[in-house]
Amino acid sequence: MANPSEMEGKEVCVVDDDLSVLKSIHYLLASEGFKVRAFNKAEDFLTHASAHHVPVVVTDIWMDQVTGLEVLARLCAISPKTRVIVITAREDLAARATAMAIGPVAFFMKPFDDEKFIAAVRDALSKSEK
Amino acid sequence: MKPAFIEKDYEQSEEQLRLLQTITMEVSAASDLTSTLEIVLREVCEKTGWVLGQAWVPNPDTGVLDLVAGWYCGDGELKPFRALSEESHFKSGLGLPGRVWKSEQPAWIEDVTNASNFPRSPAARTAGLKTGVGIPILSHGKVIAVLEFFMRESREQSERLLKVITAVAGQLDLLKRATRAEAEAREQQFLTLANSISQLAWMADGEGSIFWYNVRWYDYTGTTLEEMQGWGWQKVHHPDEVARVVERIKVAFATGQPWEDTFPLRSKTGEYRWFLSRALPITDEEGRVVRWFGTNTDITEQRELEKALRASRDELEQRITDHTAELSRINEILRSILKNMGDAVIVADKDNNFLVFNPAAERMFGKGAMQMPSTEWSHRYGLYLPDKVTPFPHDQLPMTRSTRGEKVDNIEMFVRHEKAPHGLWTEITGRPLRGSNGDVLGGVIVCRDITELKEEEFFRTGQSRVLEMIAADAPLADVLTNLVLLMEGQAEGLRCSILLLNRDGKHVRHGAAPNLPAAYVKAVDGAPIGPRNGSCGTAMFTRRPVVVTDVMTDPLWTDYRELAKICGLCACWSTPILSAQGDVLGSFAMYREENRGPLPEETRLTQIATHIAGIAIERQRQQEILREREARINLAAESADLAFWILYPEQNTAWMSEKGRLIYGFDSNLPLTCDLLLSRVHPDERADVKSAYDRACALSGTFESEHRLRLPYGKTRWVIMRGRCLKDEEGNLLETIGVTLDVSAQKQADLQLQHQREEMAHRNRVSLMGEMTASFAHELNQPLTAIANNASAARRFLERGNIDPALLRQLLQDMVADSQRAGEVIRGIRSLVRKEASAHTLLDLNAVITDTVRLVSSDVLTRESVVTTELDPQLPRVSATLVQIQQVLLNLIINALDAMESLPPVERRIMISTRSDKDDVAEVSVRDFGTGLPKDQPDKVFDHFFSTKQKGMGMGLTIVRSIIEAHGGTIVAENAPDRGARMTVRLPAVRGQTQTIAAA
Repeated sequence: MANPSEMEGKEVCVVDDDLSVLKSIHYLLASEGFKVRAFNKAEDFLTHASAHHVPVVVTDIWMDQVTGLEVLARLCAISPKTRVIVITAREDLAARATAMAIGPVAFFMKPFDDEKFIAAVRDALSKSEK
Repeated sequence: MKPAFIEKDYEQSEEQLRLLQTITMEVSAASDLTSTLEIVLREVCEKTGWVLGQAWVPNPDTGVLDLVAGWYCGDGELKPFRALSEESHFKSGLGLPGRVWKSEQPAWIEDVTNASNFPRSPAARTAGLKTGVGIPILSHGKVIAVLEFFMRESREQSERLLKVITAVAGQLDLLKRATRAEAEAREQQFLTLANSISQLAWMADGEGSIFWYNVRWYDYTGTTLEEMQGWGWQKVHHPDEVARVVERIKVAFATGQPWEDTFPLRSKTGEYRWFLSRALPITDEEGRVVRWFGTNTDITEQRELEKALRASRDELEQRITDHTAELSRINEILRSILKNMGDAVIVADKDNNFLVFNPAAERMFGKGAMQMPSTEWSHRYGLYLPDKVTPFPHDQLPMTRSTRGEKVDNIEMFVRHEKAPHGLWTEITGRPLRGSNGDVLGGVIVCRDITELKEEEFFRTGQSRVLEMIAADAPLADVLTNLVLLMEGQAEGLRCSILLLNRDGKHVRHGAAPNLPAAYVKAVDGAPIGPRNGSCGTAMFTRRPVVVTDVMTDPLWTDYRELAKICGLCACWSTPILSAQGDVLGSFAMYREENRGPLPEETRLTQIATHIAGIAIERQRQQEILREREARINLAAESADLAFWILYPEQNTAWMSEKGRLIYGFDSNLPLTCDLLLSRVHPDERADVKSAYDRACALSGTFESEHRLRLPYGKTRWVIMRGRCLKDEEGNLLETIGVTLDVSAQKQADLQLQHQREEMAHRNRVSLMGEMTASFAHELNQPLTAIANNASAARRFLERGNIDPALLRQLLQDMVADSQRAGEVIRGIRSLVRKEASAHTLLDLNAVITDTVRLVSSDVLTRESVVTTELDPQLPRVSATLVQIQQVLLNLIINALDAMESLPPVERRIMISTRSDKDDVAEVSVRDFGTGLPKDQPDKVFDHFFSTKQKGMGMGLTIVRSIIEAHGGTIVAENAPDRGARMTVRLPAVRGQTQTIAAA
């Protein structure tokens, strides 16, 4: 278990076009004491990332408007140090390989194990640069 | 002939004069008063017309009047009155004698039976006396006697008569004196009287020499005694008459007989007037004529009156004679008319006596009988009602009704009696005879013989009956037999026959001959026709009438002579029966037992008979042709599994071919009705069939209906019924004619095919599910992820022990909502794979497209493709089954995705668009940018098992097309202009329904 004080001042961004899923991830992270900033649209998140320091982002790929892969590519350009956790409802090996190549710290298939997910978020947050 | 009043008048005057003269002479001879009175009473009574005279003389001792003398007409009835008078004594003023005595004046009583002062009234009544007169006889101013006279007539007071009697009575006074001077005075008195009368008067001596004329004579003739005395009077006589007058009067003077003559006398003005002249001889006691007293009475006016009367009477007589002659002439004319007129005229009085019964009436009814009660008339004269058997009710007989005062018009009566055994028909008109006061005196009837008219009418009725039989399709043999009998009934001793020409046109067949011998009929049946084959065979062969007056000698009958001889046939006239087209149908023949040709009447009958027979035979031929045609149609119908039927809705009857009865399950002899036919239609479809039929009837059009029949024992049959309604010129529905086709087997096959199609469609949908696993996984994983996260979060909050209940409730609510969302996804998948077809609903295709695209969005993303839509907001809605439309869209989208697999992901695009050119079609096109369809046969993609894909079964588009066509739409496959394929679906729009309701 990470020290909660470590997490202070650091917030986790979540991006998903499915509102139910977005809300549920928000509650899950909140239950472990994380500060969460949720985005329903990828564009909104990218705008946010270009102006703020984003240590960790949890994002869906294969969203309707912009694909998650596109978001990852643009995030690398804006904020290369942000650690990315990918979640997806679609089992697609090709997409997964591509995502891993771009460099996310973790990859989860929806629905996912909450312990591992929180561990991954905590791990990513702790490793993020101060 | 002289008018009585004129005669009486002058006769009376004459009598009075003679009376005076007689009395004067009698009285001079009388010895005492009583005998004088007796003479006076007698003379007065006899000469002036009284039946009873009595004389009363005052008795100086008693002071009353006593009866002293009486004269009575020799009548026994007067005796009681006389006896009563003899016993009576009248005081002064009492009774008739007393009144005259007292008043010294004559008294006249018109009616003594009813007079107040007449005590002998009862006796006078018994004696029959009426007029009474009392005359006083005065001498030196004193009444010495009272005379009374009575007569039986009631008579007004006659001054002249009174004067005469008074004058006579006055003579008695002279008697009392009896002196010469008195006698002279008396003579003077006579002359005065003689001069006072209106007649001319004269006196002659015994030899006839006239010695005195009265003043009137001289006044009239304007002569003097000198000129006239002796025989000088001849000067005033008319020259033409005088000789006769002289001769006659000389005879009177010579014989002493009273003289009378009529002659003209010339007046002093020279005018001749006619006079009636009489002279009476006056004899002395020895009977010698001592004097003649004569009078001449002017009768000119009477004669003229008489003449005028005679003339007028003669004229009257002439007129009566003329009139009588006229009447007699008219009577003669009437008699002649009545005698010669064809109509019967009968006149009867109220007592049933026939006043007129003209010869025509006798011919019609027999002799007219007198005094016969009208109740026996019908029997006596053979009168019947038009039914020919019921005696005419006597109270309804035209004569009976006429004598009752009724008008009777055109009563038809049948008359049959000994002299008219065949009977005759009469039409009767009757009128009452009325007197001048309007009373019914009797009746007159006029009876017209209408036997010929009636027979003509019966003949026409007979023809109509035969024609009706023809119209009713009675057997030909019956029709022809009736026709022959009708013709035979039109003439005595006539026999007829009808032969038919066989269809081979060479032989005859028996038609009708009810009164020809059977042997003859049999022999003729089947005989050939030819130029010498009897009358009929020849007539049919030559097509001309053949008249054979003697079959024994005519060469045409050579082959049939013996037969004719046996059958007693002498003459035979035959006429061919021709059809409207001029074909020979047969022949009509007349046979007679005398050797002669046809009379005009018989020729006329032949024309009628051949005409009617022609109609009958031709009709029968047509019926045969129709029957054969119907048989052929039935045969054709049976082999085609077709039911023929005709409905007659007005009569609610129907006809159906045998095959039809089999299809509908009717026994072959069951009478059919329209309702019965309808009752066979399956109850679920009956109303629809009926309304389709009614619509066709109303529009006089055709109808077609596919429906089920429910047969007895629960069997069901699928049929197609087609009909056409026929109407007459006025638009009345005559009949509906049509066919019914049994399509049960075909229907069964269709149903099977339908089932197979549905099965294939289902498999197609199941296989589509396989193609869409990514989408389904994503759709399900999303809510499941949310649920799992929310549950984890809740657990973690609980483990930390600082959970806010409101937050916990929010988490739980979100979990419930996401569970429901997952359920929806499952339901959507289930509906797609459900086997049974759901019902049509109104669909907004735009909404269906949006939902479907969303449903496949995961797979589209997985295949790195993009689906774009261009939806026409004005797209009309369609009536369709949601699942089937989704199935079509999914098939098209997945096919498009498959077609683009080999393309780089950026080129993988699917474009779905909707549009509506017209209001009645909704068009959906799905276009890809793939390799396209085979260029030469783009439509081949719809064939079974056609596939360009490795994994496809090749069934998808086939099913898509069958679904679209089942919805009444079309689908077209084509290559898009630049590249790729485009599938265009067109579905019929529900009119006026643009998209207002979202898809279900």
